[in-house]
Amino acid sequence: MTPSARASHPEQPAPPPGPGERAGQLAAEWAPTVGRVLLGLVLAWFGYHELVQPSVWTGYVPVVSGSTLVVLLVLAHGWLLLMLAVAMVAGIAVRAVAAVAVVLLLQIVTSLTMSNGLSDLILRDMGVLGLAVCLTASTRQRLVLSR
Amino acid sequence: MRALGGSVGPRGATVLLAAAVAGGLLGVHGWSTRQSGPPPGALGGAGAGSATSTSPPGGGGPAGRPAGAGPLLASQSFASYSYQVWPGAPSAAAKTAMTGLSISVRRTGSGISVSAGPSGQPGAAHAYPGGARVYVIEASMGDEAGSSDYNLGDDGVVVTDAHGRIVQ
Repeated sequence: MTPSARASHPEQPAPPPGPGERAGQLAAEWAPTVGRVLLGLVLAWFGYHELVQPSVWTGYVPVVSGSTLVVLLVLAHGWLLLMLAVAMVAGIAVRAVAAVAVVLLLQIVTSLTMSNGLSDLILRDMGVLGLAVCLTASTRQRLVLSR
Repeated sequence: MRALGGSVGPRGATVLLAAAVAGGLLGVHGWSTRQSGPPPGALGGAGAGSATSTSPPGGGGPAGRPAGAGPLLASQSFASYSYQVWPGAPSAAAKTAMTGLSISVRRTGSGISVSAGPSGQPGAAHAYPGGARVYVIEASMGDEAGSSDYNLGDDGVVVTDAHGRIVQ
């Protein structure tokens, strides 16, 4: 386009974003927060139940024997899950917490796969693991307790 | 204090401290009730999906010999997790709860004979008088996948008399 032609056709204002683009912007803004809170709720659910009814969960403890030690391990696991859950929901050090959750979930998926092989339950856990992996990335988080 | 992906300020630290204390209290509560979790006829506890013991913590088999009527099943904490297997056809929930378990009930004269254990490892059969009811206990259906039960630690078999009192 020649300079004279450009002068006769001033730049048009950008068209307003369509519904798809607006939805994408909204998702980019809030999806990490929603994912973080939902992962926190999952961790909280399992952490709470491991703490209040440890004997129900002892069957998941691999290798270790001895009922007292197994119950203590379940309680420690439940306590850690609860701490991670609170930090996750409150938005405290999200990436670090997500990294720890990745390690925990990886251990769960690995031990269940080794003991029983692949199944729908393990694949579901792998989805949760994937969510935790995503949250280790730098994302803009809303509703965080940063002070 | 800075941490990967965010900072832990005074408010954050306070929240985490409160959560740690709350978790500790819940853990103390869980520790104090650790013996009341599994039902009397617990089938698991050896490992995820690999339970080999059919003996409950207190001794006896999953469907051991009647040793006198005990408390009402309805009064137990696991009553809401119990699903009737006998008499009658097991419900869909009962069938799901029996995943990974082998429970066999046969009529023997005036009574019934019950054997139970993890799949592939049926326990010894034990006799009960007529009118007995057999229940499978499953605290969480979420650990069943296909034909596998990942956590037999929350599974059990309970036999009651005709009045709903636990005989084993």
